[in-house]
Amino acid sequence: MYQYDSLDRDILADRSAEFRDQVARRLSGEITEEHFKPVRLMNGLYLQLHAYMLRVAIPYGSMNAKQLHKLADIGRRYDKGYGHFTTRTNLQFHWIKLADTPDILDELASIDMHAIQTSGNCIRNVTADPYAGATADEIDDPRVWSEAIRQWSSLHPEFSFLPRKFKIAITASAKDRTVAKAHDIGLMVRRARDGTLGFEVIVGGGMGRTPFIGPTIREFLPAHRLFSYLEAILRVYNRHGRRDNIYKARIKILVSALGREAFAREVEEEWSKVGEAGDLPDTEIARIRGAFSRKAFETLPAQSEVYDAAVSADPGFARFARNNLKPHKRQGYTIVEISLKGIGETPGDATSDQMDVVADLAERFGQDDVRVTHEQNLVLPHVKLDDAPEVYRALAAAGLGTPNINLISDIIACPGLDYCALANARAIIVAQDIARRFADQDRAEQVGELKIKISGCINACGHHHVGHIGILGVDKKGEEFYQLTLGGSGAEDAAIGKILGPALPLDRVTDAIDTLVDVYLRERQGDERFLDTYRRTGDAPFKEAVYAETH
Amino acid sequence: MKALTANRLSDGEVVFWKAGTWVERFAEAELFSVDEPAILAEGQAKSQPTVVVDAYLIDLIESEGLWAPVSYRERIRALGPTNHIHHGKQAEGGDAILALQHAHGAARSSGRVNLIKRK
Repeated sequence: MYQYDSLDRDILADRSAEFRDQVARRLSGEITEEHFKPVRLMNGLYLQLHAYMLRVAIPYGSMNAKQLHKLADIGRRYDKGYGHFTTRTNLQFHWIKLADTPDILDELASIDMHAIQTSGNCIRNVTADPYAGATADEIDDPRVWSEAIRQWSSLHPEFSFLPRKFKIAITASAKDRTVAKAHDIGLMVRRARDGTLGFEVIVGGGMGRTPFIGPTIREFLPAHRLFSYLEAILRVYNRHGRRDNIYKARIKILVSALGREAFAREVEEEWSKVGEAGDLPDTEIARIRGAFSRKAFETLPAQSEVYDAAVSADPGFARFARNNLKPHKRQGYTIVEISLKGIGETPGDATSDQMDVVADLAERFGQDDVRVTHEQNLVLPHVKLDDAPEVYRALAAAGLGTPNINLISDIIACPGLDYCALANARAIIVAQDIARRFADQDRAEQVGELKIKISGCINACGHHHVGHIGILGVDKKGEEFYQLTLGGSGAEDAAIGKILGPALPLDRVTDAIDTLVDVYLRERQGDERFLDTYRRTGDAPFKEAVYAETH
Repeated sequence: MKALTANRLSDGEVVFWKAGTWVERFAEAELFSVDEPAILAEGQAKSQPTVVVDAYLIDLIESEGLWAPVSYRERIRALGPTNHIHHGKQAEGGDAILALQHAHGAARSSGRVNLIKRK
């Protein structure tokens, strides 16, 4: 992975010292909350319901064992022994004291991590494919470009005060594991017929109050022109984005208002002014690329006797292998997805002890590499098939062996009203209840791929708009109600879900999900996923069943 | 009936007003049966910017012979997260916590809504 140099470390040390001084001045009353709040937010520190929350950036969801051990340590010493992985592939600590925060930032800086640009109207952490460098179907390693964007966008003076926050995703595989089309900019790596590397550029996607699947504004952008083009997009946004209305300030509103063609023309015009001076030299990209090409893969047979024997002998491992192991580009290796969706647990939560277990496994068996997925799980991207049974046993012993990746209990849920100052309703307990209902893994596998995503408010941190089944918590005169949407997708077939009908009270939600699953199993043809069946039948049979039971 | 709440500046802890000071337990909060002293206390709280952040009044209802915030959000603040029942103030247990957990009132947190509007 990319290693910080002395300049990076100096920046973090300066920033941490600066925040220490700002916290001291706030506590002494020298500066007011009004002045301090934007400063703390720029350092990822929010005031939530019960305490401060610190959002730590995990750049493009990639970290090493030492970093994960340190996050575990921070969770143990400054929080309640755990952390919460988010849909932005960051880690949030929910029980932080303001007075401790400068020390925590120093601890993070000691392992080349920080909380800068995890809040505020700036370019946030880039989302990249969690299988980067491991999956066979990628055209290029998206981490190279993600890291280049991280360096380019960090403390970028022109783009530190945008009209609103700004999120970029990069995927290099046909299978999109980043929700690229629902980001402010989605970059899909493409290769032209002549072999030139480039990007399809999608702009103006997003979720929140006004969800959009972003349109493509350029089918093919040569890779070496990426940064001048990004600069042009952001300049057009900076110039024309709505600063007068927070609900209309995201770039998706601008793209929608101007229309795809007009917006693309504005960008092309600005791009011609920026010119090649705005691009990174090839030597710099090559330097960054070097940091990601040092994996020492062994030449292994395609089949592993140890693995095959474990599949035959241990049904638990066999089920884990079916659902949580994914094909690796090198024979004899596998990608291990670690579910943070233990049945009845909080989606995305990992205890400090669990983080230590994963970090140890990454060191021993995983080439010191850990990834975070936007679906709130972890990944060991490079594990030998020979080692997979031992990795599984260690994970299972730590409560991390849940074999449910992409199944109905692999639910995204934001912290919701249990923690978040913005939420209208709880999300976690809804996920827990649904997971318990579908705890029978045979039934879950029979249902197959079904992505449920739950948000506790319209800001959609739980990605409900792109859930095969989306659940949005709403406040009806102070009571928690939940609106169901069907047919969304955050994958390459991205779509915004359609509202099924009137919102349901909390105690009706799990029954409604059960009903939706029953209708799917009744209507399913062949190998159809839930989403495929819904797309074929439309919402009528689902609506009829859910609301027939409600009334 | 009303109470006055805020988050403590130094650690974000949920606190309640009690005769000029702040306490962590809702059960110890000062209760205001009329508006005038409540509004007066809210004003005094705002003059303590190095002690608390975002002070506002919350409405209460009766629950099992005790008082509880009418808003669900405020009950979660007074108790802790419902997904981790050993975290937050609820971990202490007892009759006062049970009364909060059993309360059934439903209304928006008007004090917080007013706070947001003022911003």
